[in-house]
Amino acid sequence: MSAVAGNTAADTPFATWLTGIGDAPPGQGLDWLDAQRTSALAQVRAKGLPTSKQEGWRYTAIKPLLDQAFVQAREPVTALDPDDLEDLLVPGLDAHRVVLVNGRLVSSLSWSDGLPAGVRAQSLRSLLETDPDHLRGRLGRVAGEGAHVFAALNTAGMDDGFVLLVDAGCRLQRPIEVIHLSLGMDEPRLAQPRHLVDIAEGASATLIERYLSFGKPLYCTNSVMELSLATGAELDHYRIQQESPKAFHLAGVYLSQGAGSRYHGVSLGLGAAWSRTDLVAGFTGQGAECTLEGLYLAGDGQVMDFHLDVRHEVPGCISREGFKGILFGKARAVFDGRVLVARDAQKTDAQLSNRNLLLSRSAEVDTKPQLEILADDVKCSHGTTVGQLDPLSLFYLRSRGIPPAQARRMLCEGFAGEVLDGLGPVPLREHVAALVGQRLEQASLD
Amino acid sequence: MLSVKGLRAEVGGKEILKGLDIEVRAGEVHAIMGPNGSGKSTFAHVLSGREGYAVTGGSVRFEGEDLLALAPEERAHRGLFLAFQYPVELPGVNNTYFLKAALNAIRTARGEPELDAVAFMRLMKERLKVLHLDDSLLKRPVNFGFSGGEKKRNEIFQMALLEPKLAILDETDSGLDIDALRIVADGVNALRSPERSMIVVTHYQRLLDYIQPDYVHVLAKGRIIRSGGKDLALELEEKGYGWICEEEAA
Repeated sequence: MSAVAGNTAADTPFATWLTGIGDAPPGQGLDWLDAQRTSALAQVRAKGLPTSKQEGWRYTAIKPLLDQAFVQAREPVTALDPDDLEDLLVPGLDAHRVVLVNGRLVSSLSWSDGLPAGVRAQSLRSLLETDPDHLRGRLGRVAGEGAHVFAALNTAGMDDGFVLLVDAGCRLQRPIEVIHLSLGMDEPRLAQPRHLVDIAEGASATLIERYLSFGKPLYCTNSVMELSLATGAELDHYRIQQESPKAFHLAGVYLSQGAGSRYHGVSLGLGAAWSRTDLVAGFTGQGAECTLEGLYLAGDGQVMDFHLDVRHEVPGCISREGFKGILFGKARAVFDGRVLVARDAQKTDAQLSNRNLLLSRSAEVDTKPQLEILADDVKCSHGTTVGQLDPLSLFYLRSRGIPPAQARRMLCEGFAGEVLDGLGPVPLREHVAALVGQRLEQASLD
Repeated sequence: MLSVKGLRAEVGGKEILKGLDIEVRAGEVHAIMGPNGSGKSTFAHVLSGREGYAVTGGSVRFEGEDLLALAPEERAHRGLFLAFQYPVELPGVNNTYFLKAALNAIRTARGEPELDAVAFMRLMKERLKVLHLDDSLLKRPVNFGFSGGEKKRNEIFQMALLEPKLAILDETDSGLDIDALRIVADGVNALRSPERSMIVVTHYQRLLDYIQPDYVHVLAKGRIIRSGGKDLALELEEKGYGWICEEEAA
């Protein structure tokens, strides 16, 4: 354990991460919250940071992250006005908008008028001040036990975030868009937003999360989102990670689904120098459906990891895990997809797939689909592919006059298209398709 | 328009074309017939520039230019079109998007302005009408999940849109029932013009009932062993390929 304890020692860059982590946090004095924070910090100190010897971290090249001396982002950024955001918006997307800058929700940039009765969309900070009872028993419930050390770090250091509470039967028509904007500061910052989404019985919502930056600053996002879907609740959740090319991005999405609920998540990895996304899902009632789709597009020097952990512990639920990757330059990606079917989870229907396109010799992907099935009456499958573009498809396009670089791009767009089709709102889909096209244009030039 | 002299080519180290000669002038339709393995499809692929087909001798000139020195897309820019025997499925690539990309790539290469979305749609509708096709294929991914007949119709539709000077139809009749064959042949006939030449590669005479060639060539063991008018096709239908190959051997 000496190696583990060593990496939180005072002489490592990571020690700065913990500096001032418990100083005057929002909601201080709430017993339940103080207890969570204290326990989380103790966990961070005791467990230490992951090493490549640990399961779940074996393929994640973590050293570049731990070499950074980030300091907690604390102070709100007030310098922006709504005009500054103009270039970041998705043209034609009609949504309620929430903007966080360096992890802090900025209400002057947010826009949530017209929210129906029965919906609360506000900052964690403000809710802790005005109505902390709404959070008690909810915050930390889904991402509590068993989450990895960066989730504990988030709990210890959570400073703000976004809370969405939808009352029973309430069907939100317009999507809610959460923009995570990062600005460069003198010292590279660590932002630890903590989000909570709670959809009550029979309610439904669409949530869009976009991680963006101004310029190309160095910073780290370590976000945790807890999602709770009650009986018959529905959530469509689209995450688009477009962090600065120098940034580090850690995200944990923890999901708990009640009976007959439906969750459809699409995760897109486009930006950041280094990123790791953990999607953890569990069921508390039968007949629920969980779809986790994703696309990672990694180019030169980028590291992009996706870790899925879907736990079927009750009978009769359906899960679909479908991730695709396009890698070029010296990209590295990890897909670690685990589906557990417990002994009692009969009639589980789970399909896990991961397909990768490698456009260069120096790109590398580690893909590890794991199905652990302990029940005997289930329908489960998994499949993985790693390959290059099909030469005959390329020839077909070229024989129609299309130059090779464009032909390659079209085939990649086609490959990505199946995932992008899952993005419900048309303006969002078109926006993301254009982003993917731009990235691929760079790839062809490599 | 196309002048092939002594063409030799190998696939995977095996010589398939062993000195093939053919001359095609503007507006002519040539049928190339022959038994399986005679090199018909190899010839079609060599003309279109597919990788893995190594030319070891002879020359191919297209409108005076050395065709073999050009990349596949450059051959398309010059006006060459290959209708594939097995059109390739491109999941996720929308057919309309594909057609527009192809047409505009060719226009750009020729120094013509790209067509905008409206002009392109207008052109597509007009060509669909000429071929008596409906637009149901346009919204789907290229050839993906298409029936055999739909794939071949899509090839002919591409030809109508790209307006090649020389079209090579590689076993366009294979796998088609008689109704689908008629639709495809009608499409081809609608595209015949004094400026456009065609090479129709086929195993069976059946297609030539619908597409009447000016010349028929018999390809065997990598060479043209007999050329004639359309009556030659009928003779082949009656007697098979055996007699002609034997005659050649004698």
